[in-house]
Amino acid sequence: MTPVEYLAAALVIGGVFFGFVATVGLLRLPDLYSRLHAASKSDTLGSVLAIAGTAAALGLTTESMKMLFLVLFLFLTSPTAAHAIARAGKEQEVDPVGEEAAWRDEDGGEAR
Amino acid sequence: MAADHERDVLVPVGDSETLRRTVTYAVERAHEAAVDAGERTTIHFVFPARWRIYETDRENVASASSLLDRVVAWAEEDLDGLIGEDQIATVAFETATVGTDEYVFSPGDFAAVIARYADANEVGRVVVDPSFRPGGSVPLLRSFEEELAERGFDVFEAPVTRQTRRRLPFTEIGLPEFLLVFAASLLFYLALGGWHVTDAYELVTGVATAGVVTLTLARVTMKSEVPRLRYIGATVLRMAAYTPILLWEITKANVALAYVVLHPSLPIEPRTVEFDAAVWGDMPVTTLANSITLTPGTLTVDVSRQHFIVHALIPDAEDDLLEGTLERLVRFVFYGRESARIPSPLERRDDEGGS
Repeated sequence: MTPVEYLAAALVIGGVFFGFVATVGLLRLPDLYSRLHAASKSDTLGSVLAIAGTAAALGLTTESMKMLFLVLFLFLTSPTAAHAIARAGKEQEVDPVGEEAAWRDEDGGEAR
Repeated sequence: MAADHERDVLVPVGDSETLRRTVTYAVERAHEAAVDAGERTTIHFVFPARWRIYETDRENVASASSLLDRVVAWAEEDLDGLIGEDQIATVAFETATVGTDEYVFSPGDFAAVIARYADANEVGRVVVDPSFRPGGSVPLLRSFEEELAERGFDVFEAPVTRQTRRRLPFTEIGLPEFLLVFAASLLFYLALGGWHVTDAYELVTGVATAGVVTLTLARVTMKSEVPRLRYIGATVLRMAAYTPILLWEITKANVALAYVVLHPSLPIEPRTVEFDAAVWGDMPVTTLANSITLTPGTLTVDVSRQHFIVHALIPDAEDDLLEGTLERLVRFVFYGRESARIPSPLERRDDEGGS
């Protein structure tokens, strides 16, 4: 194996690891918001590492450039999606575990 | 008494080519109202401030007050024309700058800021300059006029003929915006296709695709005017410096999360933190919100203007957040080095005597 292949393998294995963490987190964490932590962080890094590993294996080609774009967009879309879900949860008055109705009586004078 | 004030007129002032004629119209209206009622009315010229950095934006403050001075000079001239010089003035003028201490962004925000001033001064009428579009004219949002009417004001649109801004036929897009979005889309298309710029097929499909993208999305992509190139260049450079730091933070976040998630006893301490970030503008706020979500133990739940509600999963996360490293970095990216001196959220909170 060449050094680049080692790098690609390491990246993909890292991606698998964080994908695994995301799944375990999703199953073990107690509520909507903490599960989103797993979904937004570990899942992002997991996918990004897997894609980066693939890009490294492909070398410097058009395809690997597209992979890099994918990485970039994942960093933009993943937190945005997590934020959308969290915000929807808040608006539906889903309470976070450990702190009851922390935001229910906020007057929100300037909502939005 | 309040009924008398209802005749007073408020004019939101901003740079636009029809401002001069809007002032004339407002003065005529106020003069008419004064004659009808047999007593003086007041015109309030109000400058709604756009997002800005606390102290570092003296230039904008100065240009706002010089614009207001000019507007009052115009209004006095118009009034002299209506009643003749040396007569007792029927209309008084006041000026104000509003919204300097908060982040106003959508037409609704601007209307709220204006309405607050109007309520405080018991003004019931608003004269709107049709080509002044605070907060841009994003098609998804209601217009400034509608937002004001919603708040119970009599809204008069000044009957000014708009200077024909160069627009492409059948669209709402100006030429500079069109070119910018078109060029960006075309370059992106060609880059994805492998940069075969000499291939006629690639070029034709690229132009067609970019054209469709621009016609449908340019109004969403570009909120108002074409941004200055130098500003963008500096921002992109600083963004490039920010990326490795963010990547490092993301890695740390994931290791911390992996530890928590895989630990048999699941040592989490979820809590929510609210704070006001010292960042303004949609891009900076979005960047900060996304960075918060990606970094150790924190998740942005809701943002309204610059007020963040953040869910923190692990104990250290809250301290890290309030130390404001991320916030400072985002400020550095968008406003330059000078702005990094603004105190951290923790220090700001201490100044207010805790909260």
